[in-house]
Amino acid sequence: MLEQLLIFTRGGLVLWTCQELGNALKGSPIDALIRSCLLEERAGDSAFQYDVSGASYTLKWTFHNELGLVFVAVYQRMLHLLYVDELLSLVKKKFSAIYSEDRTSYSPDFDDTFRQLLREAEARAEEMKRNKQTISSGTVKKGAAGKKLSDQSQGKGRKSSGAKASSGGDEDDADSNGTYKGGKGSVASYAGKVKGLSNGKANGVANGAANGHPSESSSTSSDDDVGNKKANGRQNGVAFDVNKLQKLRSKASGKKGVPEPPKPSKEEEIRKKTKKNRVWGDAPPPSKLDYTKGSDQQFEDTAAVKIDHGTSKMDEEENSSSDEDESEDEMIEKTSTGKKGWFSTLVQSVAGKSSLEKSDLEPALKALKDGLMAKNVAEEIAEKLCESVAASLVGKKLGSFTRITSTVRSAMEEALLRILTPKRSVDILRDVQVAKEQGRPFVIVFVGVNGVGKSTNLAKVAYWLQQHGVSVMMAACDTFRSGAVEQLRTHARRLQISVFERGYEKDPAVVAKEAIREAARMKQDVVLVDTAGRMQDNEPLMRALSKLINVNEPDLVLFVGEALVGNDGVDQLMKFNQALADMSTNSTERLIDGILLTKFDTIDDKVGAALSMVYISGAPVVFVGCGQTYTDLKRLNVKSIIKTLLD
Amino acid sequence: MDRDLGGSIASGLSSVMDQLSQHLSQQWSELQQHLNVKDEQTAVLVTLGVLVFTLLLVYLVIRGALKGKKRDTVLLLGLSGAGKTALYYQLRDGSLHQGTVTSMEANEGRFVLNSEAKEKKGKKMKPVHVVDVPGHPRLKPKIDEFLPQASGIVYMVDALDFMPQLRQTAEYLYDVLTKAWVVKRKIPVLLACNKIDKVTAHSMDFIRKQLEKEIEKLRTTRKTTSDADVGTEISIGSETGPFQFTQCANKISIVETSVLQGNIRDIEVFIRECVPR
Repeated sequence: MLEQLLIFTRGGLVLWTCQELGNALKGSPIDALIRSCLLEERAGDSAFQYDVSGASYTLKWTFHNELGLVFVAVYQRMLHLLYVDELLSLVKKKFSAIYSEDRTSYSPDFDDTFRQLLREAEARAEEMKRNKQTISSGTVKKGAAGKKLSDQSQGKGRKSSGAKASSGGDEDDADSNGTYKGGKGSVASYAGKVKGLSNGKANGVANGAANGHPSESSSTSSDDDVGNKKANGRQNGVAFDVNKLQKLRSKASGKKGVPEPPKPSKEEEIRKKTKKNRVWGDAPPPSKLDYTKGSDQQFEDTAAVKIDHGTSKMDEEENSSSDEDESEDEMIEKTSTGKKGWFSTLVQSVAGKSSLEKSDLEPALKALKDGLMAKNVAEEIAEKLCESVAASLVGKKLGSFTRITSTVRSAMEEALLRILTPKRSVDILRDVQVAKEQGRPFVIVFVGVNGVGKSTNLAKVAYWLQQHGVSVMMAACDTFRSGAVEQLRTHARRLQISVFERGYEKDPAVVAKEAIREAARMKQDVVLVDTAGRMQDNEPLMRALSKLINVNEPDLVLFVGEALVGNDGVDQLMKFNQALADMSTNSTERLIDGILLTKFDTIDDKVGAALSMVYISGAPVVFVGCGQTYTDLKRLNVKSIIKTLLD
Repeated sequence: MDRDLGGSIASGLSSVMDQLSQHLSQQWSELQQHLNVKDEQTAVLVTLGVLVFTLLLVYLVIRGALKGKKRDTVLLLGLSGAGKTALYYQLRDGSLHQGTVTSMEANEGRFVLNSEAKEKKGKKMKPVHVVDVPGHPRLKPKIDEFLPQASGIVYMVDALDFMPQLRQTAEYLYDVLTKAWVVKRKIPVLLACNKIDKVTAHSMDFIRKQLEKEIEKLRTTRKTTSDADVGTEISIGSETGPFQFTQCANKISIVETSVLQGNIRDIEVFIRECVPR
């Protein structure tokens, strides 16, 4: 059974709930849905699972974007309610008809409508179920009829490939009385669809009425209502089909037309080449790497070196110029008007479009998705984002003097801003202070795959913390790779920081534990734990990492990831998170709290990894490593990232 | 020879020119005739067009000017779940309707406060522009959109669930108080401790002290981080001694309210102080 159905505005006012269902929901599934799904740009998903002690709910939702309404249905997960999607769309249609902005209470009026809709939807689901059973049992007569009709409905389904249409077919199917008529009607309406005549629709209406009649007749008026509603459904199907066809056509033309993909790939190649060259060229001069002169001399130099470094880039603010923006906008305007006929766009822009449909958004979204992917955003993420943006725009009215491309773009911009804005504060110094008050060291663990720059950036973070008067200790828990401890020792010597080490071949979890104890004894504020790099698929190593984190309960688990990665970045983060969640022995699982993005200076405008990683983990980018020296540590400039992504 | 040729060319040219000019003048007269017919129509159309255009321009200019000057906006800020949307509807309609859920978008409206509309019927009141900014951390950047118009800020604090959210509450409040707009314009802030009707709710003195303590801590850590990026934030409070709300340049007051029970008199008074009738 349906637990609850809510209708509320995007502003958060509940307009209508079903009082009859009236079951008090355990926990607050609606708020959870909004906070962790709809506001995280995951609205493109189909359902949301909510667990609370004693109950587990599945939530489904739909938007009415033009009116800014949200419809949410809640039901027990164990019951696979098949009619929820249909019910939601019907409720949406009925409710939006009576909705007005000033009105805030709909309880007496809408109750009856809803009751009826619910009853119908349930009955239909019942019939569907029964029908399936009869087909499987194979009563000769019914089976044959069903087969015939299901063939038809299949043909229809193939053409329309819409769940709604096919469910409509099933419903025809179930009516043993009007089967032939129904089948004919559907065929006729299909023909109508192709020709685009209103004739087909009329047929549909008649069909709907015929269908509706024998099902459950209480009064004539209600019958009419049913018929209308079904006709509506059919019309819906028609619109859907046309959209599909257009989509197909556009796809075909896209295939035939401009060979788009090769271009960027060529550019990419060129870029890669230059990038390579630069990386090789930028490699630090051998004199810097040469530490063979003897450690004594090195020690003497350290003070001078420290002054040379200056302030860490963490503390410098980048200001993006605003005039750049304007020129950009102009550019976009030019290109977009150049593509279409200027007159049609003019007319459309002055008149404004009635309401956006998915097919209208498709080309703009595709271009946006390609753009994002060219910026190294993982494909999966780009896809999900576009779906979410589409979900938030479909049905919205396009104002006059705006274009679809710009509307989609601004919606995407907002979505990106929401994603990249950290959910919790990333004020590490504040956290350090809290830990200090509690008389314990603040522990940061650096994790990541091999060669992403964990140790290097650990040193940078240490330098930054040191600059803010925080005493730091490093813990060399990379007891696997040869030279790792020495590398850390070198950094420590240059920064004059103490290192805790226990040599190689030790259990890193134990080393970390001892390091933290030592830091507490020496009254150090922060312990930076360096771990061995590991591939995300290496289970024994992931288990070791999980143990380290479970045993020591660090305050911050920083995932160190290269900005260079594309699709793999998502995989890495997901697997790391998964491993930490699965192998957790404690009741509260520790996941990745923050991201340190390294090698940010090598990627030019391909900043997509930042978006992919933040989206997949929900953790904020705390630091950005952007060079070879200790000062090359920055905050993520969200606005500039968004600008680069949408260029 | 040369001169002959030149002469002939010149004469030829002049004849051609003559013909051309004749032709042109003929066409011109035709055109004029043609125009004369439609003259009146076009003139009317052109004048109409110009008129509409100028009217539009004037309207836009006036609206822009008004928007810049008129600051009758009161912002409702606070963490998610503090009761901003509930307050918004309590102010507007005097009722909570069927309750609220987490906001995804700002609620904004220009209206006469509900209680006042009841009190003095017939008397014309100046409407207040109230904006309820969602408290979800992802939507925080939205504040900057509304701040320039603000003449007052109501910061909602959940007095019932206060301690677990103390740090977030203080951080958000600190962010608000250090916005350049708030400091420069001395926008008054009202701390509204909501849900005071509940038995276990904290008192407003306790909340004030805790918030002051927490902001004092934030002041030291944020100062170190924001040495270079002063652009958006300004330090608050006095340099000597711990932070107190009284040290701020803008007026910060604190009240106890219960939106659920309609006990929002103090907030209404505050709003009317910010936006005189």
